[in-house]
Amino acid sequence: MTTEDDPKPDGGTASHTEQDVAALEDHPLEWDEPENNNLAPDERASVSRPAEKDDDPKLVTGQAKYTADYETQFPGLAYAAVVRSEIPHGYVTDVDTSAAEEMDGVRTVLTPWSEETPDAKYTSAGQSYPEPSPWDMNVLNEHVRYVGDPIAAVAADDAETARAAAERIAVEYEEDEYVLDPEDAYSEDAPQLFGDDEVENEIVGHDYSRNRMSQIEGEIGDVDETVDRDDVHVHESEWETIRQSHAQIETHTTLAYTDEDDRHVLVTSTQVPNHTRRQLAHLFDIPIRDIRVSKPRVGGGFGGKQAMVVEPIPLALSLATDRPVIYEATREEEFSAMRSRHPMKVRARTAVTDDGSIEALDLYALSNTGAYGSHGMTVAGNVGSKPMPLYSKVPNARFKADIVHTNTPQTGAMRGYGAPQGTLALEGHLDEVARDLDIDPIEFRQNHYMEVGDLDEIAGMMGGEGAERRIRSCGLDECIERGKEAIGWDDLEQPDEAQLHRGIGMALSAQGTGVAGDELGAAQLMMNEDGSFHLHVGGVDIGTGADTAFIQIAAEVLGCPETDIVIKSSDTDVTPFDYGAYASSTTYISGMAVKKAAEDAKERILYWGSKLIEEPESNLETGNGKVYSEETDASVDLEEIGYEAAYGHDEREHILGKGTHCTEESPPPFAAQFADVTVDEETGEFEVNKLVVAVDCGVAINPGMAEGQVEGANHMSYEMAVCEGITFDDDGRSAVTSFDEYDWPTASETPPIESILVETHEPTGPFGAKSVAEVPTNTVPPALSNAVREAVGVRITDMPITPEKIRAALEDDE
Amino acid sequence: MQFSLTVNGESLEIEAAPDDDLASVLRREGYTGVKCGCDGGVCGASKVLIEGSAEMACGKAVREADGATIRTIEGFGSQDDLHPIQQAFVDHFAVQCGFCIPGMIVQTKELLEETPNPTEGEVREAIDDNLCRCTGYQKPVEAILDAAERVHGDGAVATDGGAPSESTAHEATDRPGETRDT
Repeated sequence: MTTEDDPKPDGGTASHTEQDVAALEDHPLEWDEPENNNLAPDERASVSRPAEKDDDPKLVTGQAKYTADYETQFPGLAYAAVVRSEIPHGYVTDVDTSAAEEMDGVRTVLTPWSEETPDAKYTSAGQSYPEPSPWDMNVLNEHVRYVGDPIAAVAADDAETARAAAERIAVEYEEDEYVLDPEDAYSEDAPQLFGDDEVENEIVGHDYSRNRMSQIEGEIGDVDETVDRDDVHVHESEWETIRQSHAQIETHTTLAYTDEDDRHVLVTSTQVPNHTRRQLAHLFDIPIRDIRVSKPRVGGGFGGKQAMVVEPIPLALSLATDRPVIYEATREEEFSAMRSRHPMKVRARTAVTDDGSIEALDLYALSNTGAYGSHGMTVAGNVGSKPMPLYSKVPNARFKADIVHTNTPQTGAMRGYGAPQGTLALEGHLDEVARDLDIDPIEFRQNHYMEVGDLDEIAGMMGGEGAERRIRSCGLDECIERGKEAIGWDDLEQPDEAQLHRGIGMALSAQGTGVAGDELGAAQLMMNEDGSFHLHVGGVDIGTGADTAFIQIAAEVLGCPETDIVIKSSDTDVTPFDYGAYASSTTYISGMAVKKAAEDAKERILYWGSKLIEEPESNLETGNGKVYSEETDASVDLEEIGYEAAYGHDEREHILGKGTHCTEESPPPFAAQFADVTVDEETGEFEVNKLVVAVDCGVAINPGMAEGQVEGANHMSYEMAVCEGITFDDDGRSAVTSFDEYDWPTASETPPIESILVETHEPTGPFGAKSVAEVPTNTVPPALSNAVREAVGVRITDMPITPEKIRAALEDDE
Repeated sequence: MQFSLTVNGESLEIEAAPDDDLASVLRREGYTGVKCGCDGGVCGASKVLIEGSAEMACGKAVREADGATIRTIEGFGSQDDLHPIQQAFVDHFAVQCGFCIPGMIVQTKELLEETPNPTEGEVREAIDDNLCRCTGYQKPVEAILDAAERVHGDGAVATDGGAPSESTAHEATDRPGETRDT
């Protein structure tokens, strides 16, 4: 259990100690990299080639099965609907279920007081154990804290009946004062969301009397002393971000049943099957071994499914009715009761000398975690610990955050995980400081940013083992150069119309790859007698193409065609353990586990090859579906090896490989973003002509898929810059209940996005890979703010950037 | 009530309530390539061709489709023999989670019927209500422009899906070897 004395590595509070400094010596620049990990491009057979996605033929023909598609396979399936709080804060005093229970087809109704409703506290955050999130939730709630908090659940023979029954359930409340604004919530006389006995697993820095679930702080050097120096200017600015929806097209969906072997099975759209299994075991007091969590195709996650959001409800209903139950969240529920990105205010402060040397960097974040605290502390930690290390040469740095509750829906993990909020503040702020000093904004950044060999202490200032790191790959210079060329940085033409002004803004970003010191992935490989393989991996493909990347990694090691590998990923009964798809860890952590499993199997393949070719194993290599001798060119097909191993006369063996990977490393990928905008100085209307983002992700295991990740992330980042996000009315009710109201950029409203992959080699990653999918989520808000500033001279600091705000700022300027 | 639908060349007599939405009815009949991503009529994942016109099946009551000829994603290519539009999506890495892709392919089919050589702007307009969270639309747009080439351009890909299966027969005009899909 996490306590104040036991902070977690991805967000704790330890200040920099002598022990930490000693730990830095454990991060030598030299890395003992296996020879086979650093293949030249022409030596790679599978890796870094644009292999067709393994599941594409199924996806484009509509044959792929997502959770809801299992519906037809379960006769007697019941459908769930949930009754949710109509008030932002208060106590449920009575739930009248009688009208619902009388309806034909209604199988059961559960309330907070039902025997089958779990009453344990838990967190929905899908994190490692013990979770660095408070246990502050109940499956069904008597004390409701936002409009949308679940109160009761129905199972009925069809979805319409379930919904109609839910509408017939009458809830009586004792209403309480509520608070929607995080600054108001943090004041001492604000209504209090949590009483003394309502939270277990409390997180460091909590003060529930002020609705604060956590406070964190880290520092290297001495920021206060630096800002007081006579030789520095102090600059300060404040930035605000939206409540962004994950908006994955497949809503949260879970099908729960108990099978013929009395095992409780959940087919569920999740990023975290193993964490979900553990959390369900806790909630329902069922041994972990008796729960099976299986992930079919997942229709997008983006962090919204790095949480056990809906799974307990169908399981409880299934146990209560003794039949399979499916729960598909509605789109309205997605916006009003699932998860979203933490809205934040972030204050940036720098101390800079006349000649442009940054002496201190200081970030403070006020994060609105909504009604519950899942991912609250760790997301806030990343506001500082992801963007700030970009400027690892700055000697004094500090980050502090307060994470407070409001009577709004629960926030959670979302692609970027705090880094987008911090990147906006840092990159917008530095751009303004550079302008103030009359220094080229790129040169200003280049004078301070990290490069290969740097010992990055800022990443470790929030505490936690292994968070400090040595930079062993960095393509920032090339990202900037190629990005500048693609956007036309040096030859920008102004429009003919006098009121139109064009400008380019840029921003940099760094992320991490996995959580340093707190990750685990595992894989297992089985060889069939025909020379094909079954790859079982705990890593989770939520639509990114991870399965294909795993196959490519295994095929590269085994020297076999990718089509000879059958993958099964993420079924807790079948596949090895894995923390799940989050923190940009999948290719790096789970992929390395796959590589190790393949190498383990390859050892036995070479052993059998040696028997058949009658040459020592040291002469042998795999390739083109064979084991061959590098000395004599003699070869034997993998198929022959498979049959010999399975059916040999004197000796037999099932060739199996296993791999487990965990690491203290979390190498940053990098991105350079460029935004080209034309602004009308009379109306404030603006058009984004083009977005360019160049990303150093190490070696791209599959360049086509990696580009897709970059472009999708950049679109999500663009949305953060121009979309209102989820807003609320004065009663705490979500003003967004459908895609129509969530005014995000559609295909025709999205500017062209050009992605550039900059190849470097990260020695700690599989075949040189680091992460790719998060870092381009961070950069459009600052780049667009900087572009508008360049074009018409006004600075927009609160997202979204709108024509109205630009016009108002222009009028203020006059 | 009983409704008659011709789905991918197969005549179906379906028992449903008149207000049942067409997407749910088709899904119950096994056409699960028809997806539902919103509370109805917005996200485009449920698009099917109704009398050749791309419509969201979730926004339509089954009674409104009574007697109609419908083509779902299952009526395009098979896994072994993809329709050129499907193949273009695969080749351009335009498919990530895939949930929105059947609807987008169906919409592309209608677009290319009406506008054989669309501009990028026309492509973006055409898929404006096919919401995708994964791709940023860049690769789907590239795939659709390439699909136009494949379907109508010189050296077009000849294939148009595999042999009809029992449950998801193709429309007669789309049978391989008869006419090319234009």
